[in-house]
Amino acid sequence: MDRRNFIKLTAISGTTAALTACGNPENQIIRFIPEEDLVPGIATWKPSICPLCHAGCGVIARVMEGDAEVFRNGQPGVIRMGLAKKLEGNPEDAISQGKLCSRGQAAIQVTYHPDRLANPRKRTGERGSGQFVDISWDEAIKELVGQLDALVAANDQSSLALLTKPRRGRRLELLAQWLQRFGAKAPVTFELFSDDALRRANGISFGAAQLPTVDFEHARYVVSFGADFLGTWNSSVAQSAAYGRMRQSGPGGRTKLVHVDARLSQTAGNADEFVAIKPGTEGVLALGLAHVIIASQLRPAAAAGRAGAAIDGWAGGLSAFTPAEVEKKTGVAAAKVERLAREFAASAPAVALVSGAPLAHSNGMFHALAVNALNALVGSVNVPGGVSFIPQPGPAVVTRGVADLLAGTAPKVLLLDDVNPVFASPATSQVADGLKRIPFIVSFGSFVDETSAMADLILPDHSFLESWVEAVPESGSAKAVAISAGPVMRPLYDTRPTIDVLLDVSRKLAKPFAPALPNTFEEFLNGGGNPSGLPGAPAKPTGTVRLKPDATSASPKPEAPSPVVYADPVFDGDSAQYPYHFLPYASQTLSDGSTAHLPWLQEIPDPMSSAMWCSWVEINEQKAAELTIVQGDLIEITSPHGTLRAHAFLNPGIAPDAVAMPVGQGHTNFTRYATGVGVNPIAILSPAVVADTNVLAWSSTRVKIARVGEPAIDGLILFGGATRERPDWTHGRGEEH
Amino acid sequence: MAFPSRKAAGTWPNWVLAFLVVVTMATAACEFASPGQPSGMAERSRWGTSAVLTPAHATAGDAVKAFFDSRPDTVAQPFDFSHQIHLSKGAVCTDCHTGVEQGPRAGLPSVSTCMICHSQIATDRPLIQQLTKLSEQGLDLNWNRVYDYQPQAHVRFNHAPHIAAKVACSTCHGNQQEQTVARRAVNMTMSFCVNCHKEKQASNDCLTCHY
Repeated sequence: MDRRNFIKLTAISGTTAALTACGNPENQIIRFIPEEDLVPGIATWKPSICPLCHAGCGVIARVMEGDAEVFRNGQPGVIRMGLAKKLEGNPEDAISQGKLCSRGQAAIQVTYHPDRLANPRKRTGERGSGQFVDISWDEAIKELVGQLDALVAANDQSSLALLTKPRRGRRLELLAQWLQRFGAKAPVTFELFSDDALRRANGISFGAAQLPTVDFEHARYVVSFGADFLGTWNSSVAQSAAYGRMRQSGPGGRTKLVHVDARLSQTAGNADEFVAIKPGTEGVLALGLAHVIIASQLRPAAAAGRAGAAIDGWAGGLSAFTPAEVEKKTGVAAAKVERLAREFAASAPAVALVSGAPLAHSNGMFHALAVNALNALVGSVNVPGGVSFIPQPGPAVVTRGVADLLAGTAPKVLLLDDVNPVFASPATSQVADGLKRIPFIVSFGSFVDETSAMADLILPDHSFLESWVEAVPESGSAKAVAISAGPVMRPLYDTRPTIDVLLDVSRKLAKPFAPALPNTFEEFLNGGGNPSGLPGAPAKPTGTVRLKPDATSASPKPEAPSPVVYADPVFDGDSAQYPYHFLPYASQTLSDGSTAHLPWLQEIPDPMSSAMWCSWVEINEQKAAELTIVQGDLIEITSPHGTLRAHAFLNPGIAPDAVAMPVGQGHTNFTRYATGVGVNPIAILSPAVVADTNVLAWSSTRVKIARVGEPAIDGLILFGGATRERPDWTHGRGEEH
Repeated sequence: MAFPSRKAAGTWPNWVLAFLVVVTMATAACEFASPGQPSGMAERSRWGTSAVLTPAHATAGDAVKAFFDSRPDTVAQPFDFSHQIHLSKGAVCTDCHTGVEQGPRAGLPSVSTCMICHSQIATDRPLIQQLTKLSEQGLDLNWNRVYDYQPQAHVRFNHAPHIAAKVACSTCHGNQQEQTVARRAVNMTMSFCVNCHKEKQASNDCLTCHY
C-alpha cells in the first residue's frame, strides 16, 4: 500500500467510526412535560431560608427556566422547569439584611449535589456498609408504619426516639408534638458546637435562656472572649453586617474591638487588640476587669444586680481577682488588665461577649457568668450598644441530649433527622456502638453520611429549596423575627418532606392519631390563629417552658443557683506527658463538618491560613522552630484518646503551648467531595462535658505532638492567588532534605 | 540562503499525516452528525471538545465548519411539525412560541401546548395520535433549537425589544408559511443585524449586542 492509499483508507475508516459514535444522544433522552409555565430567559426571585446553621438567614433564590435531570414516577429523564440558580441574602430579612455568608452562598449545591439521595432506600448489606437498594415510597412507608405499629401493639411507644438538630422553630415544635402524640419521649438534639452553656448562663444572669444579640453598631468598646462572631459563632451574617456599621462609626471616634483568646481566629485578626490568654481562664480576666471597675469606683458592684449575685465574692468587690492575681492565673499582665478595665468603663456603651473555646472547658459556665456580670456592671444589658434578647414567640421545646439516648435501654426505633453524631462525637463516646444497639433506624437526610449509613431505611427529604421552610431566629435582630417561605422550585427527585412523611405515617398507623394532625407542614405553618397550628391541640402544652421576652423585667428563677466559684479548668491528659492544649475550632466554611460535602466550601481558602481541601494543624512559629518543624511537615498528634496525623501550618498567633485544628474534614463516608479528605480532630477529643451541662468540653483535651514526616504533595494545600500552592519543602531545611 | 529543507518536510512519518487527516475529518463529521446544535455547551461532553482549542470555536469541527460556512439549514427534530399547516389555519407565532414579548428567548412549545387544540382537532391523524399518546404518558418532545448563537460568539439577542419595535418574525426567521419543519431560512451574520439596525436607526453600538 502506498502512502496515498494509506491516508485515504485511514481517513475513511476514521470518519466512519466518528460518525457512528457521534449521533445525537439528546433525541433519545426521555423528556417530561413541563409542570409549570415560565417565560424563558426571565428570572424571578423567590424567598427561602438558609438551612446550613441555626441563624435562620432569609435568602432569595434567583429562579429561571432550565432543563434539569429529574426523577418522575420512578423514571429518570429531563424536564424544563424553574430552577434556582443563585442565592443571595434577602434585603427585607431582619437577620441577613441582604447579605449571605460563604456557606449560605454554597447552600445551592445541596439541591444539585450529584450524590444527593433521589429515592427511598432500604439497607441490604451490613450496617454501615452503605449497601442499599431502591424501594418505592409505598413500601418504605409501609415498613415504617409496621415498625411503629409493633411498638404500639407492645405498648412500648417510649421506645421510639427522634434525633434532630436543636433548631428553634415551628418544625421542632411539630416534631415534638408528633412524638408526644405517639407516646414517645421528647426529641433528642445534637450539635457539636452547642451554645447550651451560654444559654443556661444567660438564663441565670438575665432570665433569658437564649443566645444574645450584640448591638455592635452602637457599641463604643467591644471585648470578645473567644467569640468568633465574624466567622462561625451565632448569627454571623447579622453580626458581620453590624460590625461593618460599627467600623464606619462617625467622627465620635473609632470603636475599639479587643479579642481575648489563645488563638488568632478570624475575628481576632480583625480586632484592634489581641489579648493572648491561657486557655480556660477567660472568665478570670472578665472578673479582673470588673474588680478594677468596682475598686476604682467607676461603677458600683450593685449595678450588676442579679448577674453579679451569680458570682461568688461579687458583693465584696471580687477581692480574689486583683490584677496581680489575674496575671498569675491568665498570663495577662496586670497593667494590661488595669488599662482594659479603665477603657471598658470609660467607653460607654461597652459590651463583652463570650463563646467558643472558653465555654468548652470544664469551667465554661463560670466564664459565661463572669462575662454576663461584667456586662451588667457597666449597664450594657438591653440598651443600645449592649446585649439584648429577641423576644421569643412561643415556648421553647424541651429536648434531650444524645447521652440520654445512648444510656440505659436502647430505643427500638430511631428516626434520624439529618444529624451526624457519629462523625461529630469523640471516638470514646462510642456513639456508633450505641446506635448499633438500636434495632431499626430510619434516616431522613438527603445524603449518606457516617450516621445515616447505619440506617435500615432512608427516606430522603426534599432540599430546602423544594420545601416549606421556617425559622424563628434566636439572635441577630433587635426585634422578634419569625419567617416561613414556600418552595422556590419543584422537587427534582422522588423525595418527600420529612414532616409530611411523618404526618402521613400518623394517619396510616393501625391506630391513627386522634384528633388528626395537619396533613402537611404547609398546612401547619399556615395554621392561622391557633398558635400551635394544631387543630384540637391540647390547651396546655406539656413539657415546655415559656421564655421571658423581656430579660430585665423577668422575675428571678424560683431556684436561684448558688454563686459560682472559679475552679481551674480540668484538662484531659497529664501536662507532663501531653504538653499542648488541643484547640479544635469550627471551620469557617465546613462548620462542624456538616457542610464538607459542598465542593465550593472545600474550594474556599480558609481566611486565616488560606488552606483548602485538607486538614492542618496550627503550631506556634517559634515553637515549631524549636522542634525543627517547617510548614507542611507531617505531625502526629496524640491525645489520651487517640492519634491522628495532619500537616503543620505555622501560625504566629497561637500560644506556644497550644496546637489548633479546624473541624470539618476527616469524613469516612460523606459524598465524593468529603470522603477521605483530611482528618477528624473530634475523634481524639476527651468525652468530658462542661460542668452542670451536657455540652461537650471540646477545648479540654491535651495532646503531644511529634514530627513524623516530610511535607507531601497533597498534604497542606494553600491558595496562592490563582492557583493552588504547596509549601516549598526544601525551604529552610538544607540539602539533606 | 537558508530555505526550508524539502527533505526535512518529506521525512514526516506517514502516520502523522494520516492522523492529522483523520482528526480533522472526524471532528468535522462529528459536527455534521449533530447539526444545529450549539457547540461547547457544558452539559454535553463530545469527543474532541476543548474549551481552549480556540477562543471562537470549541472544537476543531466547529472551526472547520465555520471556515466553510457550512452550517446546515435543517435541524433534526423529533416530530414532523408543519408550520405551513398551522399558519394557514390562522395560528400566530406567539400562540406556541410564548415569552418573546416578555423576554429574551422564544419558548418552545410542550406537548401540553399542542393538546390545547389537538385534544379536539384532527384527533384521527396518526401524528396527532402519537402526540396524544405522549401526553398521556406525561412525556414531552425533544425539540432542537433552529436558531441559536454559540456561546463563543459573544453575542446576546433579546426578542422582547424587537417585538416591541414591530419587527416581524419573518424578518429573521423567513416566511414560515412556506416551511414545514422550521429551517434556517436567514443566515444571521453580524452584517445582517447591523444592516437592519441601520435601517431602523437602532443603536449599532458594540455593547448593544456584545456584552
